[in-house]
Amino acid sequence: MADITIQKRPHNEAVVTHRKFFKKTARGKVIKIIRERYLRDDIYCGIVGCRLCADGTTAVLPTSGDMTHRDFPYGHYILPDTNIFLTQMDLFESNEFMFPIILLQTVMEEVRHRSLPLYNRLKALVKSEDKQVWVFYNEFRRETTVIREEDETPNDRNDRSIREGAKWYNTHLHLVRSPIRGQKPPQVVLLTEDAGNREKALSANIPCMSARKYIERTQKPAPLLDLLAAAVSEEIEPTKATGARAVLYAEHLPTTALLAGVNAGQLHQGHFNANSYNYLEGTVLVPTFTKPVLLVGRENMNRAVHGDVVAVEVFPKSEWKSPGDEVVDAESMLKNDDVESGDENDENDTNDTLLQARESRAVRESAQAPTEKQPTGRVVGIVKRNWRAYVCHIDASSLTSTSTSSLSLQTIFASPISRLLPRIRIRTRQAPSLVGQKILVTPDRWDRTSRYPDGHFVRALGKVESKEAEQESLLLEFDVPYRPFGKAILDCLPVEGDAWVVPPKNDGDPVWKDREDLRDLVVCSIDPPGCQDIDDALHARRLQNGNIEAGVHIADVSHFVYPDTPMDAEAASRGTTVYLADKRVDMLPSLLGTNLCSLRAGIERLAFSVIWELTEDANIVNVRFTKSVISSKAAFEYSEAQMRLDDSTLTDPLTVSIRLLNSLAKKLKAKRMAAGALDLASPEVRINLASPESSDPLVAPSSLPGASTLSGSKDERKGETIGVMQKALLATNSLVEEFMLLANISVAMRINETFPQTAVLRRHVAPPKTNFDNLQDMLMKRKGLTLDVSDSGALAASLDKCVDPQTPAFNTLVRIMATRCMTSAEYFCAGSVSRDTFRHYGLATPIYTHFTSPIRRYADVLAHRQLAATIAHTPLHPSLHSKAHVERIMDVLNRRHRMAQMAGRASVEFYVGLALRERGEGLAKAGNIGGVVEEAFVIRTFRNGLGVFVFELGLEGLVMFKQDVQFDAENYTVTLPSPTAGGEVTVALFDKVKVRIGVEKDKNTQRGRVKMTLVSPVDSSGL
Amino acid sequence: MTGLSKVEISYIRSSLLSDPPLRADGRAPEDFRPIAVETGVAPLANGSARVSIGQPRAGRGHEAEGAGGGTEVVAAVKLEVDGVGDDEEGGKVICSVSCSPAAYPHLSSPALDDLQSDLTSLLGSVLSHPSLCPQNLVIVPGQKAWALRLDTIVFADAGNVVDCLMLACRAALVDTRVPSTRSVEYRAPGRQSGTLNEVPDDLMDVDQSRNGPSSMLETRDPSSAVDFELADYWDEGKVLESRDSWPVCVTLNMLPTIHFLDATSQEETAVPLRLHTMFSFPGGKPTSHGMRMAGAGTSDMTQIGLLLKHAEKYARNMWIGLEAKLAEEEARRSVKAREKFYGGRRR
Repeated sequence: MADITIQKRPHNEAVVTHRKFFKKTARGKVIKIIRERYLRDDIYCGIVGCRLCADGTTAVLPTSGDMTHRDFPYGHYILPDTNIFLTQMDLFESNEFMFPIILLQTVMEEVRHRSLPLYNRLKALVKSEDKQVWVFYNEFRRETTVIREEDETPNDRNDRSIREGAKWYNTHLHLVRSPIRGQKPPQVVLLTEDAGNREKALSANIPCMSARKYIERTQKPAPLLDLLAAAVSEEIEPTKATGARAVLYAEHLPTTALLAGVNAGQLHQGHFNANSYNYLEGTVLVPTFTKPVLLVGRENMNRAVHGDVVAVEVFPKSEWKSPGDEVVDAESMLKNDDVESGDENDENDTNDTLLQARESRAVRESAQAPTEKQPTGRVVGIVKRNWRAYVCHIDASSLTSTSTSSLSLQTIFASPISRLLPRIRIRTRQAPSLVGQKILVTPDRWDRTSRYPDGHFVRALGKVESKEAEQESLLLEFDVPYRPFGKAILDCLPVEGDAWVVPPKNDGDPVWKDREDLRDLVVCSIDPPGCQDIDDALHARRLQNGNIEAGVHIADVSHFVYPDTPMDAEAASRGTTVYLADKRVDMLPSLLGTNLCSLRAGIERLAFSVIWELTEDANIVNVRFTKSVISSKAAFEYSEAQMRLDDSTLTDPLTVSIRLLNSLAKKLKAKRMAAGALDLASPEVRINLASPESSDPLVAPSSLPGASTLSGSKDERKGETIGVMQKALLATNSLVEEFMLLANISVAMRINETFPQTAVLRRHVAPPKTNFDNLQDMLMKRKGLTLDVSDSGALAASLDKCVDPQTPAFNTLVRIMATRCMTSAEYFCAGSVSRDTFRHYGLATPIYTHFTSPIRRYADVLAHRQLAATIAHTPLHPSLHSKAHVERIMDVLNRRHRMAQMAGRASVEFYVGLALRERGEGLAKAGNIGGVVEEAFVIRTFRNGLGVFVFELGLEGLVMFKQDVQFDAENYTVTLPSPTAGGEVTVALFDKVKVRIGVEKDKNTQRGRVKMTLVSPVDSSGL
Repeated sequence: MTGLSKVEISYIRSSLLSDPPLRADGRAPEDFRPIAVETGVAPLANGSARVSIGQPRAGRGHEAEGAGGGTEVVAAVKLEVDGVGDDEEGGKVICSVSCSPAAYPHLSSPALDDLQSDLTSLLGSVLSHPSLCPQNLVIVPGQKAWALRLDTIVFADAGNVVDCLMLACRAALVDTRVPSTRSVEYRAPGRQSGTLNEVPDDLMDVDQSRNGPSSMLETRDPSSAVDFELADYWDEGKVLESRDSWPVCVTLNMLPTIHFLDATSQEETAVPLRLHTMFSFPGGKPTSHGMRMAGAGTSDMTQIGLLLKHAEKYARNMWIGLEAKLAEEEARRSVKAREKFYGGRRR
């Protein structure tokens, strides 16, 4: 009979077996929690081939440890303390760092307690296949468990526990491999940044060192040393007299005090938003005030970085200010700033005072501005830092000139791509090789004595403007998951692969279960050119009773993506497919997206159909939903469909169907407009790349009607042609759009009826009227136009009236600006908000969801599942019955959606810049020195500049004047000295001007930026 | 309280009055049955104790157990965060006694309820008195305080349940640890225009007002702290401040001319008149916390005075004994357990 040992300890050994602690709940109650601990002897050391731990078959640590370290010739393993993981996670994640790691349970738990994101990274590290990490459950092994002494702090107890673990390992290794012929066993090295802990460890004969010391003695220290977080350098570097350093910022209050202040209503908590025009200004939107709280000047922003959650104190009303009206550019202001500033350099003092004078002027002037005041305050503490790795360029000017080629350690500035972030100071040995590269940098801390945060180098992405580096940096910057799909996910695909076909019709076949055979319907799809993931198709036909049957057929993605599978989880976390100008980052593996789910012409595909019976006036008589099998008869591009529509000689069933759809769509649109839907505009520019990815190289995109091209010049070096054009809108675009809207609305109503608690819906909250204050004032003063924002219908009507007969584009401009005043639409769970807030403001419909693009949006997949459950096709997965679960997914989707849009826009911007430069070069070659000149509208006026919008390029830019000009903030005008026209020219908001656009590369950072100067009415290059 | 016949009653009474007094279990009148105290019996409570009178000490095996067993009571203290009203000091002690029906098989359910509420009010009148309320039950002055819930259960009653209850209550209260908290507040620091001074240290007020008894005399603004946090989430916390003043109870059973202690159930039935006296000895000084006469009968005033003197003496003995036992219990549960564990490991 097997031996049974009872591991449960008797009650009277509570001190050994229980771990007690208190926890304060969110409601302010204190609860006592007891964890029982079972001690055992069979927790293995994880070393391959260990005699004593024979059963440890999953052991990962090499038998003799790592032999490459110079201090440990007999081999070693490292056993890091908690503080190492808390500060040096990037080091462990680096591909250069390949030492075998022993991870104690105590350390794991402490990391989890201190920082959840770091804990998740640690878990990923443990799981990653290329690292040798062994988790040793020291608290459960009889020999290594530690009982808290009287009056011992948890920290001390954990330190002792970690030392105990290290000690056990070293003894264990001695036992396993008793020294033979001078061959010593490998050692286990405790890594810790805590000097006190090191001391105690050394006195207990445990090999021990700091991370920096350890790395310095490895064989290739240089790349790893850069990864060390800044926090460590302080300890190792000869300490510079900290007392002598000027304190630049007020102390942050501890989190607990902040929370108490927030609870008491004395402080306000919100996200810090940096101002992209003025680096000395930021805002925090807090619930108490309708307007955001303004923070003016460095001291009041107190080291907050864009995205941080901060607590602000609001000044008394008499000290409230209004936002500045000047462009303050960190780069030009701080050009001479020294990297070491804040350190002991004396010569900086003059520099500092100069800077302070300039800054205070900038701050003071903004305070005098006459426009309306808003709450003003200062940051008293950071509730949560939202720091991550940022894509940066190295500022070459911060390299010490003597060492541009040497590999010595130096401090340099890294300028983040995002203009909202401050420069980050890093220390690196590879500075010269990083110049001209895009690199990832993580900030570590920001001291009171330092003007800039300190950070460390993570890795290089590649050369600036190389396609790969730009792409990756965009994806990183917007947190788009872009790793290839893993094996577990690909295993969820049908085993047939691309040979999968709809099985022949057979009632017994599970695929055909409850599925209608719609293969005979004349269905077609209409999409943008080059579309590979066709997720919708349409049909329409006249019924015998005179009504019209119209159908929208959506790819049946939920047939392939089952809930609770790795593929489903991945799709949920990706949320959406991200379209960059030159790359598509898929939400689902491409076998599904571009093949099995894509409703290609002539191939039988599974679909989820919405079929209406409509009257001649496009009123819905009846709607039904069914899973189906369709066979698309044609896959049109918008222009092809348009040609069929326009060609009255064609009478084939397809064309008739499209005409029928078109006539209905027009009526649907008219109804929607009457209900108050907004016709909004956003600058849409298409990039055409003759890259291998798009199938049809568009050298000269003039074949598309209505598209205005900027450039077709050929770049021989890259073999790519970049063209920028505005998206053309055809009747067929509108046709597809109307039916998709109709399908989404019908589905939304249906699923909300069945699942009032968990239906996945989408809404657009009406913007607060104050959002339009500025725009209304601008229109009134400059154009004498009024904007009625009382509801969407009134807004739509008054937007229609915003026309300037001379400049037809003016209306579009106003629409773009009005769009910017609005909130963005969001996904939500029907049960989590009150019913009267379901409305979609922009579309003017009481309820809405996303159903029509399940290949590229996860929300649609959820809507599909819910709809399938409503029609009793498949039962709903239990997770979709849980409100909390759906809410969680919605939060992720909203964030991903926003990020995807921003990434897409940024990618277009990059190519516009590239195209501009090419065209500028082309012109220069042709002898035209003037450069690219385009028409632009003035959209903002500053004391020292103009914000302009270039329609042709969908590009926003800034015209800066070096000298001050007359500025009338009240009337939005700037008066410029002019050599010709009577000495002065006044430029006002909404004026059409001509600007010269050039791409200027910052000599130091290699960061390309669009530079604009005024050409007409006056040349501003001298100003 | 068990039903006894007149003959039995008279037999018990006459034996007690004989010289020397005779009791069924051979004890002298002022002898207690063996008392067993164990603390920390309820791990999830903030303090707990089990006390039994007359039962053999744990570990000696069951064969020595007498036919009737003994009186057994478990007391547990639970601290709950509670709001503080406007005119309150903050902190309160709430007692409750529940009696297991198994302990009183002969009582009907309403009678059991009566007994419970009677014992609850007896305990409450002594222990919930404001003068006993420990200062360190206040978490944030004027805002939040611990409500101390002292729940006791009578598992078995073989006489002298009140003494047993009070012993258990004192043991549990002494065992109680109050989680250490830190109150947090935000006070707007004076903004010196232009200069960046160190933020004054008192910005975060960390319980300065509660380090001494001076808090009653504080004249500055009552602290504006609004919330608190747990100082050390692992620590069990500090002992209750008025640890020395939780009383013990000695019940004198009075039979004219003599009195005896620790009556068994039969003796209680035979001699209904008794006097519960509660004493504590903070710093060795006897303090009376209450007295209650129960049962039918009258008593001479002069005799009461004399009895009180005796009671004080008995209570002092019991106090000293309990103190020693509690200290031993504490050691058993921490230091010794650790030593034993590490010792076992070394072997």
